[in-house]
Amino acid sequence: MRIPSRTYDGPRLVSAATLAGVILLAGACASAPPPPTRSLDAARTAVTNAEKAEAGRYASPELSEARDKLAAADVAAARENMVVAKQLGEQAQVEAELAAAKTEAAKAKAVNEQMRVGSEALSDEMERAGEQR
Amino acid sequence: MNTEIFSRVRNGKALGAAAALSLVLAGCASAPVAPPGAAEARSKLTRFQSDPNLADRAPAALKDAEAAVRSAEMPVSKSEAELGAHRVYIADRKVEIAMARASTRYAEDQRAKLGDERDRARLDARTKEADAARNDATTARNDADAARASADAANRDAEDLQRQIDALQAEATDRGLVLTLGDVLFATGKSDVKVGATSNLNKLVVFLNKYQDRSVQIEGHTDNVGSEDSNQGLSQRRAESVKAYLVQQGIAGSRLTAVGMGENQPLAGNDSQSGRQQNRRVVAVIDNPAPAAASAK
Repeated sequence: MRIPSRTYDGPRLVSAATLAGVILLAGACASAPPPPTRSLDAARTAVTNAEKAEAGRYASPELSEARDKLAAADVAAARENMVVAKQLGEQAQVEAELAAAKTEAAKAKAVNEQMRVGSEALSDEMERAGEQR
Repeated sequence: MNTEIFSRVRNGKALGAAAALSLVLAGCASAPVAPPGAAEARSKLTRFQSDPNLADRAPAALKDAEAAVRSAEMPVSKSEAELGAHRVYIADRKVEIAMARASTRYAEDQRAKLGDERDRARLDARTKEADAARNDATTARNDADAARASADAANRDAEDLQRQIDALQAEATDRGLVLTLGDVLFATGKSDVKVGATSNLNKLVVFLNKYQDRSVQIEGHTDNVGSEDSNQGLSQRRAESVKAYLVQQGIAGSRLTAVGMGENQPLAGNDSQSGRQQNRRVVAVIDNPAPAAASAK
């Protein structure tokens, strides 16, 4: 009894295994990790923001690196190397944020310097005026 | 067929187990460690946190940086080297972002102070300028007042002078103010000033007292009655007589010159009573003050 049933089950098992294999394969294809759209978009936004903040003038090396990283991330995504693409995207984002932060700091310092020079000029002016009187 | 499948499945299991085992073994062989660079990120963070100017000025970015550094410090196996490097990269940049934000904030805080200083400097400057301007204005006002006063005084002087001249009924000429005293001062042939005929002379005294810088030439003239010599003498005496009167009234003799002109400068014909009367006269010529410019001022 057992044997016939076993021999009877054989083809079923085979077909089930095949089906499972197909599903697995399909699943593997479907879940070949999706492109890290969110982190690439965030990186692109960060680069754009840094550019708008004139990072090209105040933090040029950081901005270039951010652009390079973003380009590399896009390349990796195109090659479906999604893990690397995500990492490069995150690095591009953080680098662009650094470029923007450095730009803000440089601008703030420049403003202060201007004020300091202005104050000194004013003081000098006053002293000169004082001497003239 | 079946057995083949089974054996494959079995082989697969064995393979899986072997792989798992080798993984575990590999894990044991090289124990996961913090990726290179994590320590540097940590020390950068520590440097930032111990900078009194920056440490507290970017709390949110600092929190991010701390988390990133902790993540970078997580031990990774050899196969995760790339992940470790990624985490270190992120940590390093987050620390730098925190530093940049803190230094921006620091600059802004400094700016407030600089602004206060500049405002103070400006205020000082304005105060000084205002004081100076006020002083200038006061000086200018004083100058203007003085100028106006002196102009007023000059005007008053000029008006006074004109009034005096009008009072004297003197005539302004190139030689000076010419005051004709007429013959009413003297009796015919006499040279002493008639009492009660001195009102014109007294006006001259007032004038000369007021304008101390002016001197007077007193000229005597006669008609042609009598000899020329006697007329010359008479005219001289009459001029002297007027001078004496003026000196008596307190006018310094040094300011007065008496000249007899005789009969040779008649104003009118000597052939009539009225003509002769016009010719008998004493004329006071009051000098214009010596420096004309000084009097103009």
